[in-house]
Amino acid sequence: MVKKISFLLISAAILVFGYIGFNKLNYWERSARIFRINNRDQSFEGRMGRGPGGIRGRGDSGERDRSERPEGFREGFERPVMRDLPDSIRARFESGGERPGIRDRNTPDSLRQQFRRTDREQIPFDGRIRNGEGRGRGDFPGGRKINLRNVLWFLPVFASFAVIVIYLDKAYCLIIRRRKRI
Amino acid sequence: MNIIKFCLSLSLTIVMLLLMDPRSFYGISFHEWAGLVIGLFFILHKILNWGWIKKVTISFFGRSPWRARLNYILDVFLLAGLTLMILSGIAIARTIDFSWLKLGGSPMFWRVMHTSSCLITLVLFGIHLGLHWNWVIQRFNFKRFSNGKED
Repeated sequence: MVKKISFLLISAAILVFGYIGFNKLNYWERSARIFRINNRDQSFEGRMGRGPGGIRGRGDSGERDRSERPEGFREGFERPVMRDLPDSIRARFESGGERPGIRDRNTPDSLRQQFRRTDREQIPFDGRIRNGEGRGRGDFPGGRKINLRNVLWFLPVFASFAVIVIYLDKAYCLIIRRRKRI
Repeated sequence: MNIIKFCLSLSLTIVMLLLMDPRSFYGISFHEWAGLVIGLFFILHKILNWGWIKKVTISFFGRSPWRARLNYILDVFLLAGLTLMILSGIAIARTIDFSWLKLGGSPMFWRVMHTSSCLITLVLFGIHLGLHWNWVIQRFNFKRFSNGKED
């Protein structure tokens, strides 16, 4: 009897930890994602997948609307025509100078001097994580080699499913046995 | 033979659990190589139980007991899950070069496929273990517990 109770207690503990692990690992959401991937793909198709207001939506109605538009109307985003720009900016464009960037626009001259890259140098990108010395290509952030923290949550989830099936099986066998006796 | 089967099943379970988190055990490189090895273990597991597979396949629609049928269906799902798991793993592999296979598809798709199939297969493994629990207990020589005569 003692053994039975102890097995029952262990099973209950496994089920409790399994339930916690199931929630902690977001198990249901992550495992059910495979069945939703098509819907998600359909709902996100980039620019081509937009609704009635999008590019695809323009389709047939676009032709109809076009006739109602005033002459000179152009679809989508347009750059301002040169003649509509203020004289100062127009002069800068015409002289071949740089366009005023957003960063430069509101920056004081002292700071602009300090951070200007005269030779248009680029920061080389070697595909590594900053301060990530010692990490190989494609490796996850290192440090300790063995970290079983997450794996330990998978174990009770796995065990809890096994325990559920064991007890369901036992219950089924018990029912069958009793029916046969009757 | 049963001891070999038991050791193989135990190592499959342990490796499968270690593979659930790519960061847990010696990084992504171990994850990928062990993932391939687990596929071989699985094939070996099937070869060792080939007699049972053959017998149930032949008598599936005949006189096969319900338990054998249930196990058989579960095993088919496990096979599908494991195949999907390995295939998607190959598609997103980073340390082993499988580009020559040209599997196509977006990395995001394969990643979601890999995660989901792994999690579902782990649950199926748990159910598989539950259905074979009596066999496991017999390997430990705890026959009395499995028959419910422990008291």
